[in-house]
Amino acid sequence: MTSLSSISKARRRSLADLPWPDLVLIVALIVAFAVMSRLSPAFLTISNLLEVTRFSAEIGFLALGMTLVIITGGIDLSVGSTLGLCGIVLGLATTAGLNIVLACILTLAVGVLCGFFNGFVIARIGIPPLIVTLATLAVFRGLALGFSQAKSFGDYPQAFFALGQGYVGPFPVQLVLLIGVALAVGIFLSRHTYGRLIYALGNNAVAARFAGAPVQSALILVYSLSGFLAALAGIIYTSRLSSARADAGTGFELDAITAVVLGGTAIMGGSGGVIGTLLGLLLIGVIRNGLTLAFIPIEQQSIIIGAALLVAVLLNGFLKTLRSRRRV
Amino acid sequence: MFTDRSRERAILIFLVLLTGVLAVFAPSFFTAKNASDILVNITVVTIAAVGMTAVILTGQIDISIGAQLAACSTAVGLMAKAGVPLELAFLAGMGLGMAFGFINGVLVAYAKIPAIVVTLATLTILRAVMLTTTGGAWTVLPPSFRELGGGSVLGLPNPILYLTLILLAGNFILSHTRWGRSLYAVGSNPAAARLAGLSLERTLLSTFVFQGLMVGLATVAFTTRFTTIEPAAGQGFEFAVITAVVLGGTNVFGGSGTVLGTFLGALLVGVIATALTFLRISAYWVDAVQGSFILLAVGLDALRRQGRPLRLFRSRVKRIPGEVAA
Amino acid sequence: MNAPLSSDVSLPLPLPPLLALESIEKRFGGVRALKGVSFDLRAGEVHALVGENGAGKSTLMKVLSGAHRPDGGRILLEGREVNFGSPRQSQAVGIGIIYQETSLYPDLSVLENLFMGRQPVRWGRIDWTRMEREATALLERLELDLPLRSRLGDLGKARGQLVEIAKALLQDARILILDEPTAALSVKDADALLETVRGLKANGVGLIYISHRLEEVTLISDRVTVLRDGEAVGHTIGAEATQDWMIARMVGREVGSLYPRYLRPVGKPLLEVRGLSRSGLLGTGVLEDVSFTVHEGEIVGLAGLVGSGRTELARALFGIDPFDSGTVTLEGKPVRRDPRGAVEQGLALLPEDRGRQGLVLPFSIRQNLSLPSLNFGGWLRPSQEDALSKEFIEKLDIRPALPGLLASALSGGNQQKIVIGKWLATRPKLLILDEPTQGVDVGAKAEIHRTIDALVQEGLGILMISSELLEILGMADRILVMHRGRVAGELPRGSSQEDVMRLATLGRVPDELVGSSSPDSIPPGPNLPGSGEVNHVH
Repeated sequence: MTSLSSISKARRRSLADLPWPDLVLIVALIVAFAVMSRLSPAFLTISNLLEVTRFSAEIGFLALGMTLVIITGGIDLSVGSTLGLCGIVLGLATTAGLNIVLACILTLAVGVLCGFFNGFVIARIGIPPLIVTLATLAVFRGLALGFSQAKSFGDYPQAFFALGQGYVGPFPVQLVLLIGVALAVGIFLSRHTYGRLIYALGNNAVAARFAGAPVQSALILVYSLSGFLAALAGIIYTSRLSSARADAGTGFELDAITAVVLGGTAIMGGSGGVIGTLLGLLLIGVIRNGLTLAFIPIEQQSIIIGAALLVAVLLNGFLKTLRSRRRV
Repeated sequence: MFTDRSRERAILIFLVLLTGVLAVFAPSFFTAKNASDILVNITVVTIAAVGMTAVILTGQIDISIGAQLAACSTAVGLMAKAGVPLELAFLAGMGLGMAFGFINGVLVAYAKIPAIVVTLATLTILRAVMLTTTGGAWTVLPPSFRELGGGSVLGLPNPILYLTLILLAGNFILSHTRWGRSLYAVGSNPAAARLAGLSLERTLLSTFVFQGLMVGLATVAFTTRFTTIEPAAGQGFEFAVITAVVLGGTNVFGGSGTVLGTFLGALLVGVIATALTFLRISAYWVDAVQGSFILLAVGLDALRRQGRPLRLFRSRVKRIPGEVAA
Repeated sequence: MNAPLSSDVSLPLPLPPLLALESIEKRFGGVRALKGVSFDLRAGEVHALVGENGAGKSTLMKVLSGAHRPDGGRILLEGREVNFGSPRQSQAVGIGIIYQETSLYPDLSVLENLFMGRQPVRWGRIDWTRMEREATALLERLELDLPLRSRLGDLGKARGQLVEIAKALLQDARILILDEPTAALSVKDADALLETVRGLKANGVGLIYISHRLEEVTLISDRVTVLRDGEAVGHTIGAEATQDWMIARMVGREVGSLYPRYLRPVGKPLLEVRGLSRSGLLGTGVLEDVSFTVHEGEIVGLAGLVGSGRTELARALFGIDPFDSGTVTLEGKPVRRDPRGAVEQGLALLPEDRGRQGLVLPFSIRQNLSLPSLNFGGWLRPSQEDALSKEFIEKLDIRPALPGLLASALSGGNQQKIVIGKWLATRPKLLILDEPTQGVDVGAKAEIHRTIDALVQEGLGILMISSELLEILGMADRILVMHRGRVAGELPRGSSQEDVMRLATLGRVPDELVGSSSPDSIPPGPNLPGSGEVNHVH
């Protein structure tokens, strides 16, 4: 039952309505910047800052796809394996003599296929995304291992390396591409009917189906997109490292999920967005790079990232309870 | 009690078929030594899978057990090298496992963070801590470990005895104790369990601690099989364990599953891995095969619950993803 | 000492009451949810508690069960005052609540469900034999037939209720609170439940019976208390509590006609269903050879017991579930077999479960209203969305009239209006309503009925499923009665409740009425317990 007081509460711009997760994030970013620049004088140089973005951008493609998946209430643990598999496909194709452009197109297609498979099994057969993508994490990685027999592929035309190591003006190619893709995904989420449907799925998939919305198509689309972006990341990663290996991408899903969750997307789905994910990415990138410059090894960096993930989820959950208590 | 033995039957049928294939293409498979080897090989996974069965029964998951195994094994090895008697070292290992389980459990049960996120984070942190403290060095185990693992009683290798004892104990706990049955209740209808006075938080916490204990027990089997422990040990362990549990018929949504089923699932995984070797298929394909098996098993289950035969491509077959089949 | 009850009739009290609530006060913030309510219960008695949604029934029961502490008044158990700090404490003294949402474990056996958390234990091991012995003894005493070893999820909802009751009694409950026990049951199962209640009475259990089904209340209660706005406004013995008496006190005003209809001649055929069939798992028909027509400007009621196939029919028509044979045409054109297609062609379904199937609760009113009308595949159009939501908020008088407000903030009646609105926004030609006023209080109910009538004035066709016979008889122009997946017969407006019940339970077409299925092919139905009684309807 609604009462006058509840209506006025809904109207009032209460303190709880501010975008707290984003604000906290920005504060965290500022703090991180400050700490990192203290740790190492090399941190604040522009060239360094830009180089930070290369690896982050590759994770960023994964994270953008992961954002959509998590909003629908699902998860995609297979993106790292898809990245590795696509790298191998690219390597095999070029080694077999295929033109590099065609090879890239083939690779992207394989990524879409992987994602489509995930989406199909989840949407049509109804297995929980966690189990499906846990299984495909193994299957795709296994395929990568099997096809490559643990060999690496380094035979690419010179022009190819521009993708992963080149610049557009002063900016690394990855960064420009990432911004472009992020823009596209963001507009899609907020302005397209399928974007609205994605949010609906995360909140109440049954009601969406009863409303006649194309629920299965939306899910398959979301996972296919995730696979496509993983393939894109795989191509760029290979280009940056100048070689493809079957174990590429191992553990990348953690960074992707961390970026998404840090960015304010609820792990249970139904809310979140691109901007938060980008901020989360930036935060992780800053932390990793700063720590690397301070000669802290990668393994220890992971401690911090893992801890950050936990803190982020805790904080988000806490803020959400606060906000829902203030509501009607 | 009512028993749905369909999954166990399916596994046995599959094993028979596989035996047939092997009889034709790789008859060298069928030796007592090989059978014994398979059982020894699956010991570590099976013991941990008993703990994972409990976790999945309550509707949760734990992907950090590989890291836990590596950490406990390294700790046990280091302690033994420092002169601590074997028994004490093993006990300490179990305690350590339970501590890891406690941390996971607190975060899942009290902080209400989804288990996948928690265990993803603890997995990373634990691996990182391990690498840092060992500096990447492999831990060499004193020969007393191998002796323990290589011994036998009445012709049965120690590991198999150990496994049998733990399976029996695990089955007893899950099927014949109040605590064990409360796991099924929590997995089947958590709201009802709470109404009935069960503390969801305590149940989940104790489940993760139980899982940690199982990892500690698995550590005993693990360390008695190798001469060194690398910090990166246990990569892919969680996957093998979950495969065993899921293949063994435990419902991924929670609420049903048995220790016997888990054992058969682990057996299936072990037989497949060995069979691949005997059929001269490259070991690199193992992961792909195991992953496909999970999909197959869970997929068939889902289709069966849907009440329809396999009409995969009939365009109007509708399902709500994520909706629990009632 | 018994506190005086506000009553129309004063009663002699030969026995001290088992339970007495005296002048219970309960406040939430500044709102007085219970204003000095008194209520008592004797052993072996059924005392019903009726009232609109929000009248205070659940709050009172929560106070009794220990979930809430009262701010004033006291609770007396056999004359001694008690204080409950928690639900466990009230359970310990023998008060058991049976909820609507069954709190059972579908994956476990009936036996385990009965004893979960309290299994008898010997040397650390659960004593299964003793468990089974105790359970069998209780079931025999109650004359209940429950298969102890079966998986609970395989039993129906009706048996689930019985398990709940058995569970409460195993915990030595002397007082049972039944909250809408027959809400989800078929007539036959509801009758069985009432029989069980009578049996419990004979065993000396005191029962508090909460129900919206006033016909049931008149049948089963020894006494009735009516709550309105947190006060006990009426109290009488069962025989004097007619439905009009109850309704008048629940609503506090004369409720004119609950079912406003302006009858007009119907137009041309709109929806034509021929030979619709769907076979279920075991080869038995979920739907068998269903044929009927709905015309423009007509309300066709769909009656029948729960499980007779009404909701299955609705879902098949709308494309949620597939069917095996038969045709469905709208204005002569075949209807596409998926919800999207059905909507585009002019069909709409108001589903049974408002919260789970009808609304996305965290979405705003506007987002919910526009959802089915979205042009999926294209871009959102905010200005069109705004116009649409304004139109229907106004038309249906949705309150509060704030398009950006989350749907979860509204009352049940207003939420139902959103669901109706979102479908009207698709400009349907035919609307299928599945329990349109379930869980809606009397005032909003009348509004919804008015809306439905207004719709047929505009030429829509309506297929209305309802388990409330009075609602169907009041609203429908024609009534189709389903029985085990077939259309057992068709009844005209003005039929009696007995006519409907006969068809619904026996599946046999009475000789003097026209039906669409031949009498010979339908086997006689089972014998109802107590089916010889008059006015035996729900």
